[in-house]
Amino acid sequence: MVLLSFVFTAVLFFSLRSSGSVSATVTLFNWISIGGMNIPFAFLIDHLSLTMMLIITGVGALIHIYSIGYMHDDERVNSFFAQMNLFTFSMLLLVMGANYLVLFIGWEGVGLCSYLLIGFWFKNPAFNYAARKAFVMNRIGDLGFILGIILIFFTFKTVTFSEVFTQASTLSSGTTAITLITLFLLIGALGKSAQIPLFTWLPDAMAGPTPVSALIHAATMVTAGIYMIARSSILYNLAPITLNIIIIIGSATAIMAAITGLKQNDIKKVLAYSTVSQLGYMFIALGLGAYSTAVFHLTTHAFFKALLFLGAGSVIHAMSGEQDIRKMGGLRKKMPLTYFTFLAATLAISGIPPFSGFFSKDLILNQAFEHSILIYILALAGALLTCFYMFRLLYLVFFGDQRLDGAHPHESPGVMTIPLMILAVLSVFGGFLNIPSLFGGNSNFSTFLQTAVFSKTTEGLSMTTEIVLTLVPLSLISLVILFAYRTFVKKAVIPASDEASMSWIGKIIFNKFYFDEIYIFAFEKPFGFLSGFLFHKVENTVLDPAVDGIGKATSRLGSLIRKLQQGNMSFYLFAMVAGILLFIVFILIV
Amino acid sequence: MLLLILLIPFITGFTLLGVRNAAAVKVVALSSAILTLFLTVSLVFFLPATRFSVSWINFLGTDFSLGYDGISSIMLLLTNLLFPFIILAGFKHEQKQVPVLYALILFTQSALIGVFLAQNAFLFYVFWELALIPVYFILLLWGGANRRAITFKFFIYTLTGSLILLFGIIFLYQLTPSPHSTDFLAFSQLIIPANTQIWLFWILFIAFAIKMPVFPFHTWQPPTYTMASTQGVMILAGVMTKMGIYGALRFLFPIVPLGVLFWQNTVIVLSLIGVIYASIIAFRQTNLKKLIAFSSMAHISLMVAAMFVLNYYALQGLLFQVISHGVTIVALFYMVYSIEKQTGTLELPMMGGLKLHAPKMSVLFLMVVLGSIALPLTAGFVGEFLMITGLFHQSVWFALVGGITMVLGAIYMLYAYQRVMLGNKEVNYESKTDLKPLDYFFLLPLVLIILALGVYPQPIFNLVEQTVKSMQNLLTPATEVMSAWVH
Repeated sequence: MVLLSFVFTAVLFFSLRSSGSVSATVTLFNWISIGGMNIPFAFLIDHLSLTMMLIITGVGALIHIYSIGYMHDDERVNSFFAQMNLFTFSMLLLVMGANYLVLFIGWEGVGLCSYLLIGFWFKNPAFNYAARKAFVMNRIGDLGFILGIILIFFTFKTVTFSEVFTQASTLSSGTTAITLITLFLLIGALGKSAQIPLFTWLPDAMAGPTPVSALIHAATMVTAGIYMIARSSILYNLAPITLNIIIIIGSATAIMAAITGLKQNDIKKVLAYSTVSQLGYMFIALGLGAYSTAVFHLTTHAFFKALLFLGAGSVIHAMSGEQDIRKMGGLRKKMPLTYFTFLAATLAISGIPPFSGFFSKDLILNQAFEHSILIYILALAGALLTCFYMFRLLYLVFFGDQRLDGAHPHESPGVMTIPLMILAVLSVFGGFLNIPSLFGGNSNFSTFLQTAVFSKTTEGLSMTTEIVLTLVPLSLISLVILFAYRTFVKKAVIPASDEASMSWIGKIIFNKFYFDEIYIFAFEKPFGFLSGFLFHKVENTVLDPAVDGIGKATSRLGSLIRKLQQGNMSFYLFAMVAGILLFIVFILIV
Repeated sequence: MLLLILLIPFITGFTLLGVRNAAAVKVVALSSAILTLFLTVSLVFFLPATRFSVSWINFLGTDFSLGYDGISSIMLLLTNLLFPFIILAGFKHEQKQVPVLYALILFTQSALIGVFLAQNAFLFYVFWELALIPVYFILLLWGGANRRAITFKFFIYTLTGSLILLFGIIFLYQLTPSPHSTDFLAFSQLIIPANTQIWLFWILFIAFAIKMPVFPFHTWQPPTYTMASTQGVMILAGVMTKMGIYGALRFLFPIVPLGVLFWQNTVIVLSLIGVIYASIIAFRQTNLKKLIAFSSMAHISLMVAAMFVLNYYALQGLLFQVISHGVTIVALFYMVYSIEKQTGTLELPMMGGLKLHAPKMSVLFLMVVLGSIALPLTAGFVGEFLMITGLFHQSVWFALVGGITMVLGAIYMLYAYQRVMLGNKEVNYESKTDLKPLDYFFLLPLVLIILALGVYPQPIFNLVEQTVKSMQNLLTPATEVMSAWVH
C-alpha cells in the first residue's frame, strides 16, 4: 500500500512538473467555520511537500518491505502494520496540510503512532514508560505549537499558509507578534525534532521495533519540526532573534549529542544520539536562514540514517536480539551485504565524498563559516565526533573477533537486504541531487525548492575559501578514521563494562549529561509530591472537612435537620417540596 | 411537540412502576429514550422553532411556558442522546428493584428536559429541584460503599445552593414591574444597579458553581462519582454538570451582565486553579473511577473559564464541548464499568496486562482516552482549541495555563491506560473475556460520534450560531457601562 502511494506521489511529482505550476491546493470541506474563523480541510502540494512526500512514501515503502522480514515472527504483526500505515497517513497529512491546523492534526497523529509503536511490545513496563515519556514531551512542544497557531490566527485572521505568508511579507522584521509566533512554533519543533531541552525522549524511544526507529525516529517524524520551520520560512526570516536562538540550540544539541554518542554501547542508542545530533545540524541550517540546505540534509539523512537503523536491525536480528556492541564483532564475514551497506551509510554520515552526507553537511559548514567562525568550529567539531563514534560502531560490530559465544550470526533474508541495498545506492548517490557549483553542479535541489522555501540569500564564498573549507574537514576526518581504526581494530580495544570506574568526565558522558536524572529530580519528583500533597493535605485535610464542618454545624442547628443524618429519604422529599412552598409563601407576602 | 418530549419519559416512567418483568422494563425504558431522542433530533435540526405556553399560576405571574434557543437545543440534544446509553448501561447485569430504578432514571430525564425548556425562572427552579430528587434516590439506593454519608454531603451542597438561588429568584421577582413576573425575558429587561449586580451575581452563581463544580465548591464531586452506580455517575457527569453550565448562561449573562464583567477574572482564575488542581490530583489517584472524576472536573473547569472570557470563539467552543465532554465521559465511565467487571477491582495497583486477555477492549479504551485528551480529529480537540483560542484573546497567560491540560491530561490518562491495559502482570481476573456484542452497541456509536464531530463539527456550530451572537450583543452595552462605571 505504501509502495502504491509512493507511485502515486511520483506520478503527482511528474504531473506537477509537466504542468509547469508550482503548487496545487485541494480543499475537501470546511472543517471549522465560525464567525471570522474559517479553517478548511485542505491540502497543499508544492515542491516542499512533494519532497517530503517522496521521502515518506519512498523510504517508508522500503522500511515496510524490510519489516515483512523483520517482524514475521511477531504474533501481533497485523497491528504492527496497521499502526505503521496509520503513521504514514498522519505523516502525509502533516506535510500536505494547507494550513497550520491540518498540519497540527498530522503532527499529533504521528505523535500518537510514535507512542503506540514505541510501546509496541507492551508487556515490558520500561517500554511503556518510554512511550509515555515520548508522548508527554511531545505534548509540551505541541502546547507551544497550538498557542503559536492561535497567535497566527489573531495576527493574520487566518491560518492558511498562502494567506499568512502573503500578509507576513508586508510586515517589517522583528515585530513582537512575529517573534512570539516563531518562538511558539519553535517550541513545537523542539519537541518533535528532539532538540535541547526536549530531546530525552528520543534515545528512550529506541524501545520500539527497529523498523519503527528507522521510519519514525530517524527518517520522517523527527524531521517534522524541520519541515514546519522551513514551511514557515517567511515568518522566520522576519524574526532574527528566533533564528539566533535556533542556531544556539541547534549547535548545542549537535555537539552534546555527538559527545554522548561516544560512550554509548547499545547499537541503537548510538544511532539515536547520532540522529539528535544530525537534527541539530539541520537546526543550525535553519537558524542560518538556509532552509533548503536543511531540507537537503534532511533528505540525505533520511537515506543514510534509515539505512543505518535497518542495518542495525539486521545485525540485531542476526544476533538474536543482542544490542550491546561489546558483545558483537567480526560480523563482516558473516553478513557481507549488511556490512557493505552499513559501511556506505557510515561513510555518508561522516561526510566523505562523494557520499551523500558530504554534500549536505559541507553546505551547512560553509554557510556556518559565513555566519560566524565559532559556529563553524562547533559544527566541525561535531562532525569529527560523529565520524569517530560511527567508525567506533562500525569497527566494533563488523571487525575483530566474534565475542559472543554460542551465537550463530547469519545474513538476513532477501526481503530485508534488498531494501538495504536500495537505500545504500541512495546514500551513495543522493548527494548528486544538489551538486554545488564548486564541483560543476547547479544546485538542482535548492532550485527546486525555491518556489516553496525562501532561504536568505548569501553572498557566497570565494572559490579558494570553499576549496579550503572542503579540504580541511576532509583531512581531519581521515585522521579521525585512522585513529578509530588504530584503537578499535589494531589494538582491539573493547569499551569497559558499565561497572568499571571512570574519570568524572567519562561518567558525565556515559550518563548522558544526567539530563534524565535532572528532569526526574526537577519535574517528575516534585510533580508526584505536589499531587500527593494537594490530595492528602489540601483536598482531604482542608477543603473537604471545611465543608463537612459547615454541614455539621448546620445539622446541629436543630433536631429537625438532624433527621437528615439518619438518611430519612422522605424528609429529603419534604425539604424539596417545602422549598417550593416556601417560595410561594414568600411571594404571597411580598 | 415540546410537551411531548417532556412527557414521554415522565409517563413511561410511571407506567414502568406497574411492570413486573425486569427485562421488559429495560426494553420499554430504552424504547422510550430512543423515541425521545428521535423527536429531539427532528425538533432541533428540522422543525421550525416552537413555543408552548398555558397559563398556570396566575397570581405568580408564571405561565407553564416552554421554548428553546440554541443553548437549550445543545442541552436537549445531549440529554436525550445520552439517556438511551445510560439505560443501555444497565442491560448487562442484574439490578435490584428494576422498575423503580428505571422509573427514576426516566423521571430525571423528564425533569432535565424541563430545566432546559423552561422559559421562566420559577418553572426552571421547579424542574431543577425535581431533577435532583430521583438522583438522590439513585445515589442512595443503588450507590456503593459509604453511600449514606456521601449522599448526605451531596444533599447539603445542593440544598444550600438551591436555597440561595431561590432567594435570588424571589429578589428578582419583586424587582419586576407590577404585575410581577418570573419570565427570563422580564428578568433580562430589568435595569439593576451595578452595586446590586455585584452581590446578586454570587447569589445566582453559587448553585450553578456547585453543580459544575467550580473550585473550591467541588469536594462533593469526587466521592460522589466514585460511590455512584455506573448509571448514576453517567447522569451526574454526563448531564447534570451541564445543568450548571446552562443555568449560568441563562441567569448570569442576560440578567446581571455587570456582575459578570466585574467578577469575570475572579471566576476565570478560580476555574483555572480548578483545572490545574484537579489535573495534578488526578495523577495520584489509585482508584480509576476517582481518577476519571478528577479529570472530569478539570475539563469542566476549563469550560467554565472559557464561558467567562465572553468571547465568541470560547462560547462556541464551550457549547461544542458540552456535547463532546458528555459523550466522552459517558463512554469513559462505561469503560471503567467494563474494566471493573473484568478485574473485580477499581484499584490501579491491582491491575495490569488486561490487553493480553482483552485486546479489543484495550483498543476502544485507548480511543476514548484519546478523545478525552483532545487528540485532533476527535470532538474534544475542536472544543478545546476554540476555548483556548478564546482564553488567548483575554490573556496569553490564561491560554497557557488552560492549555497545560493538554499536557497534564496526557500524563494522567496515559498513566491510567498503561496501568490497566499494558504490562505483563499476571492478575487473577474474574473473567478473561473480551468485549461482548452488547458492549459494542454501547461503545461504537459513542466512539463514532466522538470521531464524526471531530472531523465535521459544523452542524453543532450552526445550531448555536444565532444564540451565541445574540449573547455577544447582550454583553456589548454592558461592557461600555462597565468601563464607564470603573472610571
